[in-house]
Amino acid sequence: MVSSGRLGRAAAIGGAILATLVFLFPVIYMVGISFKLPRDIFTVPPRWFSELTFDNYTSYFHQARILPRMVNTVIVAAGSAIVSMVAGAMAGYALTRMRMRGAGVMAGVILASRAVPPIALVVPMFLVARRLGLTDQYITVILAYVTFLVPYVVWLMRAFFRSLPKELEEAAMLDGCGRFGAFFRIIVPCSLPGLISTMIYCIILAWEELLFALILTNDKAVTIPVAIAGIAADTENGGLWGPLAAVGVLTVLPVVIFALVVQKYLVKGLADGATKG
Amino acid sequence: MSAVRTPSSRARAAGPARGSGGPLRRRGLRLGEPGTAWVFLTPAIVLLAGMLLYPIIYTVWVSLSDFDLSTFQPGDWVGLKNYETVINDPGFLESLKVTGIYLVIALPVQLVLGFAIAFLLNVEWRGRGVLRALFLIPMVVAPVVAGGVWRMLLDPLWGVVNYALGLVGVGPVEWIGDPTLAMVSLIVIDSWRWTPFVVLVASAGIMALPSDVYEAAKSDGASRWQTLRHVTVPLLVPVIAAAFIVRWLGAVKMFDIALAATKGGPGQATDVVNLYIYEKGFRGLEFGSASSMATIVLVITMIITYFLFRLSRYLENRW
Amino acid sequence: MRRYLRLAATAAVFSLTVTACGSSGGDDAPAADGGGLGTAQNPVAIRVLANDAFAKQWQDQLVPEFTKKYPNIKVTVDGVPYNDQLAKSMLELTGPTATYDVVLGDDPWMPQLAKTGGLVDLKTDLAKFTDASYEWDDINSAALAAGEWDGHQYGVPVRSNLLLMFYNRSLYKKAKVDEPTAETTWEQYFTDAAKLVQDTTGDGKTDSWAVGTYFTKDPLTPTIWQTVLNSDGGKLLDENLKVQFDNETGVKALQTQVDMLKYAPPGAATYQFNEPLEAFRQGKVATMFMWGSVYKGTAIDTATTTLKEDEVGVTTLPAGSAGPGAHRGIWTAGVAKKSTHQAAAWTFLQWMTSKEGEQWVGANLGTFPARDSTLNGTPPTPWLKPVYDAISAGYDAIAKGQMWRPRLPESDAVQQILALQTSRAVSGQATAQEAIHQAATDISALLKSKGYPQ
Repeated sequence: MVSSGRLGRAAAIGGAILATLVFLFPVIYMVGISFKLPRDIFTVPPRWFSELTFDNYTSYFHQARILPRMVNTVIVAAGSAIVSMVAGAMAGYALTRMRMRGAGVMAGVILASRAVPPIALVVPMFLVARRLGLTDQYITVILAYVTFLVPYVVWLMRAFFRSLPKELEEAAMLDGCGRFGAFFRIIVPCSLPGLISTMIYCIILAWEELLFALILTNDKAVTIPVAIAGIAADTENGGLWGPLAAVGVLTVLPVVIFALVVQKYLVKGLADGATKG
Repeated sequence: MSAVRTPSSRARAAGPARGSGGPLRRRGLRLGEPGTAWVFLTPAIVLLAGMLLYPIIYTVWVSLSDFDLSTFQPGDWVGLKNYETVINDPGFLESLKVTGIYLVIALPVQLVLGFAIAFLLNVEWRGRGVLRALFLIPMVVAPVVAGGVWRMLLDPLWGVVNYALGLVGVGPVEWIGDPTLAMVSLIVIDSWRWTPFVVLVASAGIMALPSDVYEAAKSDGASRWQTLRHVTVPLLVPVIAAAFIVRWLGAVKMFDIALAATKGGPGQATDVVNLYIYEKGFRGLEFGSASSMATIVLVITMIITYFLFRLSRYLENRW
Repeated sequence: MRRYLRLAATAAVFSLTVTACGSSGGDDAPAADGGGLGTAQNPVAIRVLANDAFAKQWQDQLVPEFTKKYPNIKVTVDGVPYNDQLAKSMLELTGPTATYDVVLGDDPWMPQLAKTGGLVDLKTDLAKFTDASYEWDDINSAALAAGEWDGHQYGVPVRSNLLLMFYNRSLYKKAKVDEPTAETTWEQYFTDAAKLVQDTTGDGKTDSWAVGTYFTKDPLTPTIWQTVLNSDGGKLLDENLKVQFDNETGVKALQTQVDMLKYAPPGAATYQFNEPLEAFRQGKVATMFMWGSVYKGTAIDTATTTLKEDEVGVTTLPAGSAGPGAHRGIWTAGVAKKSTHQAAAWTFLQWMTSKEGEQWVGANLGTFPARDSTLNGTPPTPWLKPVYDAISAGYDAIAKGQMWRPRLPESDAVQQILALQTSRAVSGQATAQEAIHQAATDISALLKSKGYPQ
């Protein structure tokens, strides 16, 4: 924050590191499990280190077809995030900054569409997809995800647009930009932190979604969460916690890397620069 | 354009846009004619209506008929029979109560914690970006894995948490076996999972704050606390409200982590309503009652969402 | 512009809705030759909807073996996670055309799957495609019954399993208690259990307990006391599907499971499948009531267990007044009615469940057999001998006491009710008597609403 004393700053950094460690503790534990032999996972008392093994990473990598399913997950998550971001951000902008009758009602309806319990949606969606011959295809899963991502995007972006100074687009429009020009050239760049954060959230939600992926896919479009649920559901031979933890680690990595890469767009001052300019 | 604005003048400047209709005056600008607004809204509306209309009609229809398992279509019309069954089902009512308790505790905890951590993460230093990225991880871990790892951590026999408590002479504590503690555990696990979302949104909100306001506050000699209370929080109200509402809608539908961590037990101690519906529908194949419950939950959620929506607009306008 | 957009949106929505409604495709009669078995030029392809736990194993090992014999039948196996498999299978079976030719069901699912009308009777409908050497009678009757409903044989057992009692010989020895046998009664078991909660290291702290099994809120948890009920001669539902367990036998059975918790490790109230298994494999509990299929990972595979082969004993559950207990958990596979390749699908299942196929499956995949000839023959590896003996004894108990979950399309709904009430009793939210009574009331109401006389 602004005007931090040296001490306050150190305390805040210390607090941030501590909070991160607390939140990451279960994850660190998961990474630990992923390198253990099955017999060493449930030791009494708990042991941190034991015989190291990479079997958990190799054994199920092929069996659960991790690689193709990872590709599927990337396609579905990216596709649904992009479609939702475009549709949602435009709608959020219209609801925040444009003159229209019933903007409030519309915003409410879009939001309320998210209130439908997922279990009520998945069966009819499957029936429609089957009718149209679209089961087990990316487009079906992407569209299903878009329905639950769009309301979130609309709402989050509405809030971020709202905190942008009005003068921004006024200036742009006075300069001869149309509505679209003002939106894409001025508003979007200025709300980049909000857009990126919302997009990360969309990707994460699509990344870990299970129920829809499970029902709407059979083989070609199966995503990682379905593969994980499959490993977890082995109630024949014994819990497969090693492989589960390993696949858990593997699925987390791409998202963390993605987040690290886009961090550089999460910089402060874009809106500042624009208003001052 | 003026470089220094006070929050109140900003709020006033943004004021007119909030009206939900009616002719709005704007200073000498032909701000988008309503037609443009509809063009901006069309993709979202087409997507939502196209994907949701049939499922919602189907669900309501199934809730009013005898479900035909041989076609997965609604069968004979039975009127409100399914609703009668559901209203008289103590399990359903109990699950609504459980959901209420969970929401009332978990949401404020996640919101406060999330914004607090976002402020801590806002201090500029080199490791900040890494911490922000790492903070996303709890959201990404698949629920079934997260639930399993937490079960291991909390187990009285081999769990690390009880082991640590044992070192200071406490326990073993039945974190998941005891009805009350099971709810506490569920809230802890859910907050672990979703506080990062609040951190993510709050960080973006804090970052988007115009620094000129702070310069103004600083030159006015405002203390840190005064700045937070009178400048930062009022400016963040839209983001706080949006984070709350998005989290609320996510939390209402939560069932995966409850299924993985506690299975809704012991008894019905952590049986949130969407888990109850899921088990009725997908395990018990009672699609008629499941649809009635889904419809009831939809209506309740819409009513509460409406009030939250009103509340958030009231708060946004107050500051 | 705006009007056109709105029009387009409406049209899109409408077309979706319309196409989605009018379901129920044409009842295409399958070809007389059942799609044939394919030729080298024109191979046939069949698709199997299986459980994720073994789908990949089948695809990688079982299918190539089958293809050696039937090179013109191409088999694809898809896996689904257990929790959603029933709903997914039903959705697939009700389609206008069959995506899947072979559908698998866990023990209590065959009535639900059959009720969709999407399965064929293997014995009659597919008789013309049945190999003359396929011996139906050799399949153990208790196992075969898992694929039967309403007088039709909709499925054949492809992965047999049953609830057995595992015990740790070292812990029994340390507690100076005689090992359990098929004759051990529940009374004797509890007397022993008190002694099996022990301090094995001599540091004054209890570090080993008597029992690990399901206690959490899960449809499989009640199978423990359902077994006790059956071995006391009691039944959940009578011949006319009327609730029959709201009595002393029922309460005693549930109380037996609740009492086990006293001799179980701390935290046992949350035990599902995984925890009791790990507690047993770590040598922390002396007995475990668990599915037989875990034997290899518990006694043989050193990567998963700390126990040695000669430390692990396996037998039927303690005896009630009517004899020892066990509980059936058999996966059966059926053929989809709308499949256009029924002959090939049934050929695949026949091969797998034939004497020859079962031998191969037992030796290479470690799956338990359902044929008496396999069970009584020489097991593929020596360590399977005690397991096959226990399974044989278990099948006898199962057949005698009808030890399986209810056979009706509502069986999962019934099991859900039992799961909830069992959990209430285990966690002390209700007494065994209250829980039994509530379960009986709820099940009775459920069955009544489905049109069964109550």
